[in-house]
Amino acid sequence: MAHINYSPNLSLCGGPTPGGPAPTGPLAPASTTTPVELHVCMGLNACKGHDRTGANNCAGTGYCATAERHNCQTLNNCRGQGGCGLYGDAEQQMNPGNNECAWQGSCAVPIQAERFSTLGDNVGKSVWLRARKLFEDRMHKANRSYGDAPFKCGPPQNWLISVLGSYDSCGNSGNKSCSFGFDSPKTNAKILCEGGKE
Amino acid sequence: MMQNTFFRAESEVTPANLGEAIQQAIEIEIATIPIYLYTYYSINRVPNQAAVSGMISQKLVSAGYSLQDATATALDVSADLMVYANKAGALIMSVAIEEMLHMALSSNLKQALAGFPELVGKSPSVWPACLPGHEPPFYIDRAKFSLSQLITFMKIESPHPLPDAKLLRAPIPYKTIGQFYDMIIECISTHKLEYRTDTSRYPQLVPGKGYYAQNNIDTIFYDREHKPVFTNSPKSSDLICIADKDSAISAIKIIVDQGEGNTGAQHFGPDYAVDCSKVIPEDYDNPERTELCHFEKFAQVYCEYVSLQAKFDSLGIGVIDISQFFVIDVPKNPSTVNYPNKITAENPINLAAVSNLINAVYTYLFVMVENCYKKQTGSTQYEIFMFGIHKSMIFILNSLCGDIMVSTYKDPIDGKTYYAAPTFEDYPFGLASSPKSQLVALYYLAYPTGNYLEQRVLDLPDVPLQYNGIF
Repeated sequence: MAHINYSPNLSLCGGPTPGGPAPTGPLAPASTTTPVELHVCMGLNACKGHDRTGANNCAGTGYCATAERHNCQTLNNCRGQGGCGLYGDAEQQMNPGNNECAWQGSCAVPIQAERFSTLGDNVGKSVWLRARKLFEDRMHKANRSYGDAPFKCGPPQNWLISVLGSYDSCGNSGNKSCSFGFDSPKTNAKILCEGGKE
Repeated sequence: MMQNTFFRAESEVTPANLGEAIQQAIEIEIATIPIYLYTYYSINRVPNQAAVSGMISQKLVSAGYSLQDATATALDVSADLMVYANKAGALIMSVAIEEMLHMALSSNLKQALAGFPELVGKSPSVWPACLPGHEPPFYIDRAKFSLSQLITFMKIESPHPLPDAKLLRAPIPYKTIGQFYDMIIECISTHKLEYRTDTSRYPQLVPGKGYYAQNNIDTIFYDREHKPVFTNSPKSSDLICIADKDSAISAIKIIVDQGEGNTGAQHFGPDYAVDCSKVIPEDYDNPERTELCHFEKFAQVYCEYVSLQAKFDSLGIGVIDISQFFVIDVPKNPSTVNYPNKITAENPINLAAVSNLINAVYTYLFVMVENCYKKQTGSTQYEIFMFGIHKSMIFILNSLCGDIMVSTYKDPIDGKTYYAAPTFEDYPFGLASSPKSQLVALYYLAYPTGNYLEQRVLDLPDVPLQYNGIF
C-alpha cells in the first residue's frame, strides 16, 4: 500500500500544508469586494446586504446564510458558522450559529424550520427560533434595530430544496417534513413555529 | 481481543490483577460495539410506506375487503411498521452509544487505578465471537436484525445467569456482566488503592466537555403522528472522572444499571422466553424511570416485533414476514476478503476498497480514543475528540456505511447474493507510517478521484499509534 509521508509541521487538525514560500512585503487585497459577516441562516444577518444574495435591506431580513453550506456536525469552518440541533451536547444545542470555533457547530447550515433540538433546555423545540432569539438578544445589546425574517419561523425544508436544488441534514431517523403515518406536517410545523415542543 | 480469557474458575479480582480485570471489562464493552452497529445498519429505518401500504391494500382487496376498508387497514398497519422500524433502530443506537460511554468509563477506571487503557485491536477478531470471560460462552454473530439476534443481544445484557444449563462447562467465574463488575467493586471496596488523580499526567475523558451526548437524532424515532420520541433520558448518566473509591464505584454502577437495570429487573424465562407482559420499575436504569435498561430495550423491540407480526398475520392475507419491509439482506459475519476487489457494472464502487476504508476509520476511532488518555498539552484531547472522533463517527463512518450498503455481491462462501455491509474488522495499521497517512491512502484506493468525503478525511487529526505503551 502506498504511504503518504506527512510533514512534521503539519498541524494536528490535518489538511494540506500551506504551499510556497512565506509572503513578503505588503499584501494587496485579492479583490475589492466588501467582506460580509458570516451567519448560518435566514433572518440572522446583522447588517444590510449581508445575506447570500446581498440584497437584503436591513438586519434580520436576509434570505440565506453567508456561512458555507454543510450538512452535519463538526463540518463548519469557523466561529459562528455552525448550525445545531441534531447532535452535540446540551450546551452546544443552545447555541446555534454561536459556536466558539471551527468544527464545534453541531449540525447543518442552513437551519430548516422543521429542525428541533435533541438535548438541552430547547429539547423538542425549534432550532431556528433559538438561533433567532440569540440574534435578537445580540441586536438589543448592540442597540440595533432589525426587521422580520422572510419566513416567521425560518426556511421550510421544501423551500430550501426549491432554491438550493437539494437539502440534507444528517441523521438516520427520517425526514421530519415528510408525510408519515397519521401526521400532519402543517400542524407539526405550526406547533414548532409557535414555540411549542414537537 | 483477548483470546485467552483472564478469569479461571477460582479467579477473584485482587489489587494484583485489578488492571487485567479492568482491561477485560474494556474489551467486553468494545466487543458489543461492532455487534450492535452491524445489526443497526441492517435496518432500513424509513421504509417506503406507500409501497408497503399498496402491497397490503392489494392483498386485502383480493381477500374480499372493500377498497375503502383495505386502504384504511393498510394505512394503519403500514404506519405501525414505519414506527416499529424506526424505533428498533433508535433503541439499538441508544444502547450502542451507551456502550461507547461504558468503554470510556472503564478506560477512565483503568487510567486512574492500573495504567493505560488499551483499545486498538481489541475488537473481536474471530466470528462468531464470545464475550471475553463470559461463562457459559455463547456465540455472537454480526448478523442482520432478527428475533434470534435480539435474543443474543439480551443474553449479552442479561441481569441474570443464562438459563441454559447444557452450556455449562465449568465452575462459573462470572455469569453476567453485572456480576463481573461486582467482583471489581468488591476489590475496590475492600482494598486501599492508590488513585492516579493527576489528570495532567493521566488524563481521563471527563464530563462537561461535550464528549458524550445522551440523545441525538439517531436515538429518536417518530410515533404514528410523527412526533419525536427520545429513547434515552436527557438526565441519563454522563462521563465520570475517577478520583477515589466513590467515583470508581459510581462509574461501575452506571455501566451495570444501564445494561441490566436495577436489582429485580426482568430477565429471561426458561428456554430464553421473553416476558412481554409489562415493564416493572426495576427495568429502568434511573430513579425518574425515564430510561429503560439495555436488556429491557431489546425486550421491547423483541415483543413489539412479535405483536406486529401477529397483527399482520391476523389480516387473513397469508403469511407475510414483516422483516421483508425493513431488514436489509446482509450476510452473517462478512469479511472484507470476500468482497469483490474491482468495480463492476453492478457495483460502481470497489467494495473491498471501501470496506477496508470503513475498517480503517472504525479502527482509527480507537486510535484516537487511546490518544485521549495520553499526556497532552493545551486542548489537544478536546480537539482529538471533537474534531476527530465525532467527525469520524457521526459523519464519515455513517456516510461510508450508507455508501457501501447500496451494493450487492455474490458471497463466495455460500454463493448467495447479499447487500454489502460494513464488516467492522480491526484494520491492521502498520508502523512504517502514521495511521492517518494509511487512512488517507485507503481513501484514495476506494475513491481514486475523490468525493464529498475527501476534505473531511484530510481534516482528521493526525494521531500516532501506540506500540508497547509508547506513542
